[in-house]
Amino acid sequence: MTQISEISLKVNGEIHTRPAEPRMLLADFLRHEIGLTGTHIGCSHGVCGACTVQIDAKSARSCLHFAVDVQGCEIRTVESLADGDVLHVIQQAFHEHHALQCGFCTSGMLMTVEEFLRECPAPTDAQIRSALANNICRCTGYANIVDAVATAARRLRGEREEASK
Amino acid sequence: MNREKSDSLIGQSKARREDEALLRGEGRFIDDVPVPRGTLHVAFVLSPHAHARIVSIDSEEARALPGVVAVYTAADFKGLVKPIHIDVSMAGYYAPDRSVLASEVVRFVGEGVAVVVATSEYVAQDAIDLVQVDYEALPAIVDMNEAMLPGAPLVHDDVPTNIFFSGQFSTPDFDQAFAAGDCKLKETFRHGRVAGVPMEPRGCLAIPDGADAMVFHTSTQIHHLVREALASHLGRSESCIRVVVPDVGGGFGTKAQVYPEEFIVAALCFKFRKPVKWIQSRREELLTNIHARDHQYELEASVSQEGIVLALRLRLLANAGAYSTYPWTSTLECTGGARMLLGPYKIRNYAFRNYAVATHTGPSGVYRGVAQPSAMMALEGMMDRIARELRMDPAEVRRRNLIQTEDLPWTTAVGVPYVTGSFAKCHELALERAGYAGFRKTQPADRLVDGKYRGIGICNMTELTGGGAMAWRARGLARVSGLDSAMLRVEPAGSVSVFVSHAAAGQGHHTTFAQIAAQYLGANYADVRVLQGDTSLSPYGTNTFASRSAITGGGAVISAALTVGAKMRRLAAAMLGCTQDQVELRDGMAYSTSGSSVTFGQIAEVAYSMSSTPLPSGETHGLETSAFYDPPVIIVANATHVVEVSVDALDGRVTIERHVIAHDCGTTINPMVVEGQLHGGSAQGIGEALMEELVYDEHGQLVNATLLDYLLPTAMDVPRFEIEHLESPSEGLGGFKGVGEGGVIGAVPALVNAVADALSGIGANVNRTPMRPSYLRGLIRGATCTLETTAQPVVKSPAEIA
Repeated sequence: MTQISEISLKVNGEIHTRPAEPRMLLADFLRHEIGLTGTHIGCSHGVCGACTVQIDAKSARSCLHFAVDVQGCEIRTVESLADGDVLHVIQQAFHEHHALQCGFCTSGMLMTVEEFLRECPAPTDAQIRSALANNICRCTGYANIVDAVATAARRLRGEREEASK
Repeated sequence: MNREKSDSLIGQSKARREDEALLRGEGRFIDDVPVPRGTLHVAFVLSPHAHARIVSIDSEEARALPGVVAVYTAADFKGLVKPIHIDVSMAGYYAPDRSVLASEVVRFVGEGVAVVVATSEYVAQDAIDLVQVDYEALPAIVDMNEAMLPGAPLVHDDVPTNIFFSGQFSTPDFDQAFAAGDCKLKETFRHGRVAGVPMEPRGCLAIPDGADAMVFHTSTQIHHLVREALASHLGRSESCIRVVVPDVGGGFGTKAQVYPEEFIVAALCFKFRKPVKWIQSRREELLTNIHARDHQYELEASVSQEGIVLALRLRLLANAGAYSTYPWTSTLECTGGARMLLGPYKIRNYAFRNYAVATHTGPSGVYRGVAQPSAMMALEGMMDRIARELRMDPAEVRRRNLIQTEDLPWTTAVGVPYVTGSFAKCHELALERAGYAGFRKTQPADRLVDGKYRGIGICNMTELTGGGAMAWRARGLARVSGLDSAMLRVEPAGSVSVFVSHAAAGQGHHTTFAQIAAQYLGANYADVRVLQGDTSLSPYGTNTFASRSAITGGGAVISAALTVGAKMRRLAAAMLGCTQDQVELRDGMAYSTSGSSVTFGQIAEVAYSMSSTPLPSGETHGLETSAFYDPPVIIVANATHVVEVSVDALDGRVTIERHVIAHDCGTTINPMVVEGQLHGGSAQGIGEALMEELVYDEHGQLVNATLLDYLLPTAMDVPRFEIEHLESPSEGLGGFKGVGEGGVIGAVPALVNAVADALSGIGANVNRTPMRPSYLRGLIRGATCTLETTAQPVVKSPAEIA
């Protein structure tokens, strides 16, 4: 159970190799082994969504995966969203709409929304709410998050149109 | 400072300064604080029994596990930390001190029995499963009504009849006043047990600082009170303990307590002379963080034919759980509920008896709103019953009883002063925004439209905010000051550092206190930086709970800014060759009336003797001051919630069609932040009213200690709130009132009344929370089965009555 082996993960485009137990959770590996503490652990049983990361571009609960199981996958965390000094469109929209208060659930929200807006670039409010239902926020009452996602969707569509011209 | 409102920083929706780090994943919550090499990790062995005698604890196997440093039980802490003692003098209250780990007897499921100290968190978790505890199960009591019966199992041998606290109150000649009413109504309201459930569980990290001191990082709202508690219980001086608050992932009052784990981690740090860390699991969070509500209001009203409430009589039970909690004791819920029950109404005759009842359940404490959601649920539920009884419109009954502007200042029958407010105005504004009159006009008597029962509910609410020294002295809480403080310093190059005695858990202090400081100092907003949550940075304070930061911290910041500003004007006057009255500080500059100016940086150079201009004679060096602010005894905010719901006739599921809030929190610092508080608070109220409940079985097992089973509102459950702002500035410095708890206080009763209204057509009596589909479906089935024999109440409009 406590055997330690080398675990190698590709996180945000970079390979990290650390000795770890096979039972080490992906969330713990990200947070405590490679120091990416933007991914938060809210419940450890896959309900709250605070620990949401992306595994091969799909949102996933990092508290429900063993690090050893996702070797060879592309892991993406909240730390990858901003481009240097420039916030990601979704992050910027969250800021403008006051879509976060304590900020603990925010990382997971952002990773869920990033995938959602790739899959559903022109969502209705109802679709946004359905997508957000994967992630619990105890501070905001959600309305500002819904607005932020709608704004981000609009801007991302604009960026894509601009790029396709 | 005397500028027009339009260019004032107070009242602007400044985007939050705390956002960027959080959005980048660069927040630093308690589990993100870097741990020094050699940090020890602890995990707790929790009681699986609600009530049992500890026969033996065998930790041999656990201690043999590689990486385990120690396993401690209650006995090992003797001499390290005193039993938790709350310094309080209040008539009618007694609760025994609490051992930091259960000693001999466990009293609720989740109570700590032993603690494992290990070199890693994983090893500590492994080891707790190897600690063998032999228990002798004892009968447990869960229900507070049963706990008060003779012969009930006692939670503590020295608390007879399981009553931690009982109190009573009556206005003069109450019985006579009550007898005078034309009609008497009685209802029992039950409010379920809920919890704050911040998304971040608790945790702490204690790091030695030299031979006899410690830096204690903890996810708390009350760092100064934690420091004091640790010092007094560990036999150390406050000067040797620095409490630092990291980013906190939601508090809602659940982190405005000092918990056994904090004492234990601090004691182990001193004992082992090593850093010690503990991070709570979600299961522990639901089992051991303070629970809230679990109240029963037996309310009687005496009413005139015109719908005037002449007198109210209340018997209030609050389930306090197994232990009194530090520092508030187990009295706050039942005293607060009784005290606030009168709300915004002119009710002159009032009598109550209130009880805090010990049971074998998790200890209760001060969750957002404290007892005000349940008190308003009882009060506003009674208003609706009066309306039904007298066949009046519920809005009209309220109208006839509300405190009018010309009645202010008003002192309630229990002595709470209402100095400013907009009770009647809020009521009308919310009704108008909600289209109340139109809704009533088209609402059928049976309330049934397209397979759904449709109803509308009103809650007029008051919220106690701030709370100065007098309020806490009156409660007998010796170690809760009531003051808060700010230290404001203009640095040598002219930027402004403001250290406040608060600690935020998402409220936006870095932004709002900077707005206040910049406004009252005349500084550039961009040049002001706020620091908080560190006992070594700011002067003493009472910290962040009970909707107090804007009032107490805001007042302290204003006071400090005015003092430093006065000195800057004197220095600037000397530099500009004018009198201080001729100097205005604005946007980081000092301007004389003749048009000449100097920058804050230039003034600071003089103050720090870095300029060729000497310090004027009679002035001292530096540009800083510490200010304490003791606000008025209490500041009352008010609001009206109007909620429109539909209840599915088949499955009992509630949909919130509209939720309107008209509120008044005095002078608004940042409307965006205020709306955020209302949104979040109201969402918690929706959870509390419709789905949340901690459920104990008859043996005292908490059957839903996971987030799979304890339901929290999601984006699918919470509507878009429609908000109207009113501003009746308070009598405090800055005119602020608190707004942190109003959302939950107003939402719960308005929802209960809306659902009750929806089901009134079939004669169902809705009088408890949570209103889950199972409960409502039961009411609908029961009512519709007997519908033929039930007279249908008719609600008349005021015009029809007239």
